[in-house]
Amino acid sequence: MPRFVLARLALIPPMLLGVSLLVFVMLRVGPGDPALDYLRLSQVPPTDAALADARSMLGLDRPFAVQYLDWLCRALQGDFGLSYATRRPVLPELLGYLPATLELAGTALVVSLALSLPLGAWAAAHRDGWQDRLVRGIAVLGVSLPNFWVAFLLVVVFSVTLGWLPAMGRGGAAHLAMPALAIGLMSLSVNARLLRASMLEAGRGRHVLYARLRGLSEGAVARRHVFRNALVPVVTATGMHVGELLGGALVVETIFSWPGVGRYAVSAIYDRDYPVIQCFTLVMTVVFVLCNLAVDLAYAWLDPRLRLGQEAA
Amino acid sequence: MSKPAIRVQVRSALLALALFAAPAAAQQLTTAWPSNVGPLNPHLYAPNQMFAQASVYEPLVKYRADGTVEPWLATAWTVSPDGLTYDFTLRPGVTFSDGTPFDAPAVKANFDAILANRARHAWLDLARQIDRTEVTGPLAVRLVLKAPHAPTLNELSLPRPFRFVSPAAMKAGGTTAGGIAAPVGTGPWRLVETLLGVSDTFAANPTYWGEKPGFARLVVKVIPDPNTRAIALQTGEVDLITGAAGLIPSEAFLRLRDQAPAFSAALSPPLATRVLALNSARAPTDDLAVRRAINRAVDKDTLVRTVLDGLEPRADFLFGRDVPDADAGLTPYGFDRAAAETLLDAAGWVRGRDGARAKDGRPLAVELAFVGTNAQQKAIAEVVQADLARIGIAVRLVGEEESAILARQKDGRFGLIFGETWGPPYDPASFVSAMRAPSHADYQAQKGLPDKPMIDATITAALAATDPQERRRLYGRVLTALHEAAVYLPISSAVAIEVHRPTVTGVRFGATLNEIPFAAMRPGPGR
Repeated sequence: MPRFVLARLALIPPMLLGVSLLVFVMLRVGPGDPALDYLRLSQVPPTDAALADARSMLGLDRPFAVQYLDWLCRALQGDFGLSYATRRPVLPELLGYLPATLELAGTALVVSLALSLPLGAWAAAHRDGWQDRLVRGIAVLGVSLPNFWVAFLLVVVFSVTLGWLPAMGRGGAAHLAMPALAIGLMSLSVNARLLRASMLEAGRGRHVLYARLRGLSEGAVARRHVFRNALVPVVTATGMHVGELLGGALVVETIFSWPGVGRYAVSAIYDRDYPVIQCFTLVMTVVFVLCNLAVDLAYAWLDPRLRLGQEAA
Repeated sequence: MSKPAIRVQVRSALLALALFAAPAAAQQLTTAWPSNVGPLNPHLYAPNQMFAQASVYEPLVKYRADGTVEPWLATAWTVSPDGLTYDFTLRPGVTFSDGTPFDAPAVKANFDAILANRARHAWLDLARQIDRTEVTGPLAVRLVLKAPHAPTLNELSLPRPFRFVSPAAMKAGGTTAGGIAAPVGTGPWRLVETLLGVSDTFAANPTYWGEKPGFARLVVKVIPDPNTRAIALQTGEVDLITGAAGLIPSEAFLRLRDQAPAFSAALSPPLATRVLALNSARAPTDDLAVRRAINRAVDKDTLVRTVLDGLEPRADFLFGRDVPDADAGLTPYGFDRAAAETLLDAAGWVRGRDGARAKDGRPLAVELAFVGTNAQQKAIAEVVQADLARIGIAVRLVGEEESAILARQKDGRFGLIFGETWGPPYDPASFVSAMRAPSHADYQAQKGLPDKPMIDATITAALAATDPQERRRLYGRVLTALHEAAVYLPISSAVAIEVHRPTVTGVRFGATLNEIPFAAMRPGPGR
């Protein structure tokens, strides 16, 4: 197991290198001119002299490879430059916003798991009953509705009409409820549906039949032999949903004025704030890889075959 | 427990949470802004927000809505007959909020710090024209110019850079270009806390020389999304939203305005003019007949009513008649499709079988460049496209990144392009002054006019003219030439909005977009 973890961690640096190069290239072959963006965000009129100054200050007059290597050397020392828009160092600013996003995405994950597992199991237990239809209905809606629309809908109902929940900002549980639900609804729906299907399938397995023959109670069979086996695909899906949740945070943070890295990144993308976009991509790559690693570990814990397979290799 | 009882309990628990999260707010005014206000260096630009700079720092003279200036940190001034020397008498008894006296040496220290970074302020004529400042008494300062500059007092009133930070807060050597130690001004508000991405909090300055603010604290919440700002106002998370019209969606403005007396809403008088600049140096808009036809072919009344929800009045000229020195007694082109067609026919642009016009095999087609992410520009562009198609002009819409549009403005790669005048106190002087700089779309649009050298020379003369009559005559000449040449298609007059809850009274518009009179606001009966 430790070797597995180390091998996965060792993959992070080359992956970051690849991602950074890709982002660097994409930003520069795209339309627009970083020097003009810099001047625009600094509110400096773009005279020829100002443009030339900005180009040389930002190092844009040097060959592309030199620009990239220079940026890489600084980045390795934790210096991602100054944001064009806020004029603050990018990395500390981004890391300052990151906890709020992790709090939101983490809560969304917990909400989605805490609701989807019982819902999925409930639906499976009442196959084709009204309970099943209800859960399936929720799942179809949850997958079909875009998160920003759900967010606006929640705000209209719970803040504007009922006045129960604050419409914006970061604070206590009341502030978290709507954004977390808006982000987590998709994952919740998929997981409930998935768990239902996989529980029904696991229920048909031979080991379940033997367990019943051994005279175990229905509850014990469902818990130990159906539910646990049925969880494996849900965990896989959850691993993929981490990206979904973080991506959802990007959109939903803006709507709820949640002071997270997503809102910061959306402004940066809108403004074409190059240093921020570059740093954001790398930080999110790390977060994403670590989350996937955690999911893989949970996977190994749930499925001994996988664990043994890794160790044999 | 019955179901309604559970509901009530859940509701009160949620309410308690919400209340716990909101600060006790009797003496607190809460508003919203798209970003943090920045470090509030009075002598620098982005990311400092102008309304906040203007709340903490004060000018020597203050701009009034009628285009004149009133005494502010200077109580009186005299101008030498040659227009080169301005002698200011400073207001006695004023201190910065750190206790440092506001006196002649403090004023000189600020001007020196600004001029040490002169290149950064080169966009502003006055920054180029100031030769030096002298301390002529404890409360007397002399400003010496290199050449007469008529808009001197107007430009001294700007939110930046000619405002005053405590010399004690300057960096070593009395500079501010590299930052300041703390935002210490003489104004009614002090910046006391900045939470990145969350809010900025101002406290009333207890030593303020003028009328004290009606609230102890001003909290500016950071809400980047216009819809969210509107909702925050609706749910009571903010008391007031005021500023440029885009701060909340226009439909939200109309909805809240309909909910009186729960909300009060108002539109400011016209502040600036939205225009399309028509490129006189590029075919086919190098043809005067085409430019004039475009000016007659766009149904602005319908455009304003539909795209702008009727919130902005139609504009007929580059500057509204209320802009100082800018009423040149001109006649609007007016919407007349038949007249536009006649103009094009007479100029040899004949319709083909498909209805599109051409001349000598050249199609009458023009590019309209706009910022692709700007929904309003896109909607206006589409209306203009449809209107011009009806007289046989094909318009190709080019929606691009903001910086790509900026690059087009700078080097003239456009047929039609969006622009806006700068509003008071920049209009007309600073705006027309910039028409002489090649990096501006105005210069590029006018470049092809045979009159361009005369226009530039007249602008230069108007900026130096100290006699008001002569100045008005010169501005009239510039504006008449631009109007006759039809290098602008004025669309509408941009306005500011304000919407507030009954928790605040005394809300009004400042003389400029960037002066928000927060200090004059008082707790309202709805509190």
